[in-house]
Amino acid sequence: MSAHRPGLPAPTLSVLTDGYWKAAGEGRLALQRCGRCGAHRHPPTAACYRCQSLDWAWDDVVGTATVFTYTWVEHPVHPATVDYVPFNVAVVELDDTEGEPVRLATAILGVDRDALVVGLPVTVDFDPTGDGVALPVFRPSATGNR
Amino acid sequence: MSGDWLAGKAAIVGIGHTAFGRRGEFAERGTFAMACEAVVTACADAGIDPSDVDGWSSYSDDAAAANQLAMTFGAKRFRYAAMAWGGGGSGICGAFLNAAMAVATGQADCVVVSRSICQGEGGRFGQALAGVGGGGLPAPFSFSSPYGLMSPAQMFALAARRHMHRFGTTVDHFGEIAVNTRRMASTNPAARFREPMTMADHHASRPIADPLRLFDCCMESDVAAACVLTSVDRAADLRRPPARVASATMGGPYRYGEGLLAGHQMADDDFASAGQRTVADDLWGKSGIRPGDVDAAMIYDHFTPMVLMGLEDFGFCAKGEGGAFVADGHIRLDGSLPLNTSGGNLSEVYSHGMTHVIEAVRQLRGDAVNQVPDAEVVLVGGGTGTSPTSALLLTR
Ligand SMILES: [Zn+2]
Repeated sequence: MSAHRPGLPAPTLSVLTDGYWKAAGEGRLALQRCGRCGAHRHPPTAACYRCQSLDWAWDDVVGTATVFTYTWVEHPVHPATVDYVPFNVAVVELDDTEGEPVRLATAILGVDRDALVVGLPVTVDFDPTGDGVALPVFRPSATGNR
Repeated sequence: MSGDWLAGKAAIVGIGHTAFGRRGEFAERGTFAMACEAVVTACADAGIDPSDVDGWSSYSDDAAAANQLAMTFGAKRFRYAAMAWGGGGSGICGAFLNAAMAVATGQADCVVVSRSICQGEGGRFGQALAGVGGGGLPAPFSFSSPYGLMSPAQMFALAARRHMHRFGTTVDHFGEIAVNTRRMASTNPAARFREPMTMADHHASRPIADPLRLFDCCMESDVAAACVLTSVDRAADLRRPPARVASATMGGPYRYGEGLLAGHQMADDDFASAGQRTVADDLWGKSGIRPGDVDAAMIYDHFTPMVLMGLEDFGFCAKGEGGAFVADGHIRLDGSLPLNTSGGNLSEVYSHGMTHVIEAVRQLRGDAVNQVPDAEVVLVGGGTGTSPTSALLLTR
């Protein structure tokens, strides 16, 4: 269970996805990377969208990103969120990946409502959910850190 | 008028629906009984005995199964059954495409498209994944739900925000769609929400998922609806004027996948869209009909921003100009493109698009409550935000 979003469902691990979550548990942001053409991709898939290769491996990425879009959840659809709405959910576009832009759905922690804007530079952090797994989350990048 | 091979071969000849209930209102009747009432009503409208229906088509994994419907009605022959992929209403026009293809190719003589929704029985679409428990999340949603991203309103808010950022779209533009749709519903005695709505009412409705407010979101309903399709030749002998299938398409943009529900890897222009660019391109390309030929449009309105972006996808205005298009009054009853003339998902009922098709048929028959004079070409857009989505062109 997330420390920052308690009560929400934990990710389900599968053969295809457990490397992502376990890397996050160790403090690394790892993406699938094609063994043939080198394109990164997310969420995990069996084949490369660019060259259709079935070969892939996990690859650590730098972990900085830019906010692509966001929402502030006001209506607590999930009962566990009643106590902490409004909270944000964002889609961020990762820096320094190979291939088409790679985006993650995530949370931006430590940001005021007025400060969360499209284009905000952010840096990955990790929110442990137990069993050696963590959710990649992001925080505003320190000024001059990029 | 049309170059689609399918054009002029099949027609909708009967329409029917149950009463429009609030979510859970018809739970005791159940999904299947509701479907049967809709089928009987649509067949009566067509003047066709339900036992002569030999094909069944639906979408969104509808629970009223084709084999059970055929057995229930004592169908003399059971020749064809098809299910279109996609959740919610995304596959609806694909179900009509499957039905029309079956008729056009002789696989079946008479195909019913049906959809039955009892949300007390089948779970709530508006809550999407919020009810998923210890059994675990479906894999694609493991990358969204743990962050609290689990309802359609939240997911579509992400596309709305991106569109606002790129094109200067405002909440007033979303509000115009909600207010216009309510205005249409106000003269429809069957609509569930008929009381007047102003822009101020829209802005004062409670926030759901920024920038979406309650009045940007459709209702939840219990409802079943059905349409009967047969060949255009046979339609000439039936009691109702046919609504001819001119063209229909289903699909989605490159790398759209689960769309806004999970994934988010599509091109930026397709992210800030309803995901209907490709079904629209194929529809216009196959049919030879142009956006300017359309007399009225039934664009899927589960959330107001998706309507605005759908208008762009279908080429009624340029990309990024959906806000100005609605603000200029084009979607009003006296505008260039009367939209969702019975009140849509937002104000009439949420039937996963069936009542959009039914309203399109009424416009072509000339007996709609908000009739567009001499309507000859009507567009229906399927549900959006995931793929495959779908589209349907009907002509008089
Ligand atoms: Zn590759």
